[in-house]
Amino acid sequence: MATSPSYFISETWSSFRRNWVMSLVAVSIIYISLLLVGAFFLMSSVVNEMASSFESKVSVQVFLKDDAVPADVQALQASIRKMPNVKSISYVTKEQALAIFKERTKNTPQLVEQLRNNPLPASIEVALVSPREVQGVVNLIVKDPLTAKVVKTPANLGTAKDTDIKYGQNVVEALFAATGVVRVFAAGFLGLLLIVSLVLIGNTIRLAIYSRRREIGIMRLVGASNWFIRTPFLLEGVLQALIGSILAILTLVAAQAVIVPWLQGNLKFLPVNIGGVTVAQLAALLVVAGVGIGLIGSGSAVRRYLKV
Amino acid sequence: MISMKGVSKVYVPDKPAALCDVDCEIAQGEFVFIVGHSGSGKSTFIRLLLRELVPTSGTIIVAGQDIIAMKNRRIPYLRRNIGCVFQDFKLLPNKTSYENVAYALEVIGKSRHVIATQVPEVLRLVGLEEKTDSFPDELSGGEQQRVSIARAFVNRPPLLLADEPTGNLDPATSLGIMSLLNRINKTGTTVLVATHDREMVDSMRKRVIALENGKIIRDQSRGVYGYGD
Repeated sequence: MATSPSYFISETWSSFRRNWVMSLVAVSIIYISLLLVGAFFLMSSVVNEMASSFESKVSVQVFLKDDAVPADVQALQASIRKMPNVKSISYVTKEQALAIFKERTKNTPQLVEQLRNNPLPASIEVALVSPREVQGVVNLIVKDPLTAKVVKTPANLGTAKDTDIKYGQNVVEALFAATGVVRVFAAGFLGLLLIVSLVLIGNTIRLAIYSRRREIGIMRLVGASNWFIRTPFLLEGVLQALIGSILAILTLVAAQAVIVPWLQGNLKFLPVNIGGVTVAQLAALLVVAGVGIGLIGSGSAVRRYLKV
Repeated sequence: MISMKGVSKVYVPDKPAALCDVDCEIAQGEFVFIVGHSGSGKSTFIRLLLRELVPTSGTIIVAGQDIIAMKNRRIPYLRRNIGCVFQDFKLLPNKTSYENVAYALEVIGKSRHVIATQVPEVLRLVGLEEKTDSFPDELSGGEQQRVSIARAFVNRPPLLLADEPTGNLDPATSLGIMSLLNRINKTGTTVLVATHDREMVDSMRKRVIALENGKIIRDQSRGVYGYGD
């Protein structure tokens, strides 16, 4: 005569309902801690996105002599395109360069008006697969024999000031150091927050079961087997965790729908972005963490009071 | 049904034992009173049989099984064959009368249908058909005690233990509960009642085991509560 699953489901639900104060406390604690974890996770993913977008702006610009032979320029482009770590290249003509300059200085149009002719050089812009290894690409370009033909001062990388191959030498190092620190800090803090909330949730569930330890003793005394006692408690822990984590996810999705567009509107200079994948990952993380801790917390707590 | 040999129980080392070298045999179908002052070892006697406690020394056989050597895993199966009425009722506070009684059937995997026919029947037997949906804290002491009896008896166990079943009740209710236990005994169930209700014991004329300071001082069939005290 096996006990049907429907017994455990109705048992779990009625116990959840009748111990509603404890259920409410447990659900709120789970909700709040997972909300914190989730909010920080989203924030750190925004920061990460920002860091990546800054990093991806690192590119190599090769400024060309005005009298460079077009055939040589094309040959150099072909050569650079074949170099490792080069994602794409684009050729910026003198006219395009001027247009970009005009756009950038549109608040002070006098600057452009004073120009009698176009002083800006044409350039080859090199985007990189891995911006961190920019130096390697620069070295290859400098060594390329074609470079000497089309670039006025390719070398003297040490005193980088007047070279015509620019990649923001000074900024790059600092930028990568900064984004690195931000990333490590965010990951570390997230991990810490996750541990704290798991402990908190586990403790809340234990407390809820502690308040019912007498019941567990009574169940033992009327002949209930351990699994018969344990199952509704486990399911109840899972139910609490599930409700708490789903509420946390809903809140985060709602908050994100409001806050992200607001940030994008107000901080135009910052690339604020959260990928859809990130939100899905987050939801999975919260539900798995919540349900896992619900199971482990209630399982280990019930175990202690089964020794009657 | 029950066989105890040289059973002692010491709760705190170096303090007097709660039970000291107790031997006794109880046959199937018997009705036995265990009497004595509070602190004489009555409750310990009952709790040992339910294996809520493990004796310090001695052996206890219940229904052919050595319950001391018994594995923890097997204990629920022992308890399903023993109905127990507790002095403090031990009802589940978040369950109604009906659900408390039903729980004893649910643990042995009875179907909803069987439960729905047996539980009301037993609640009627103890006179609680009006209170099936009441929670324990909405019931009087006597009513809770009767729920406790209904739960102990609903799966028709071969052995029924009762620890002070009338301890908190008025004489009329006590009488009702005793006659209920007597009826249960008539169906073939072995009944063991720990009590200090003198009138009850004297009027029922059943086997009486008297305990004092953890020792059996008297064991007589068709006995009375005792002399003098």
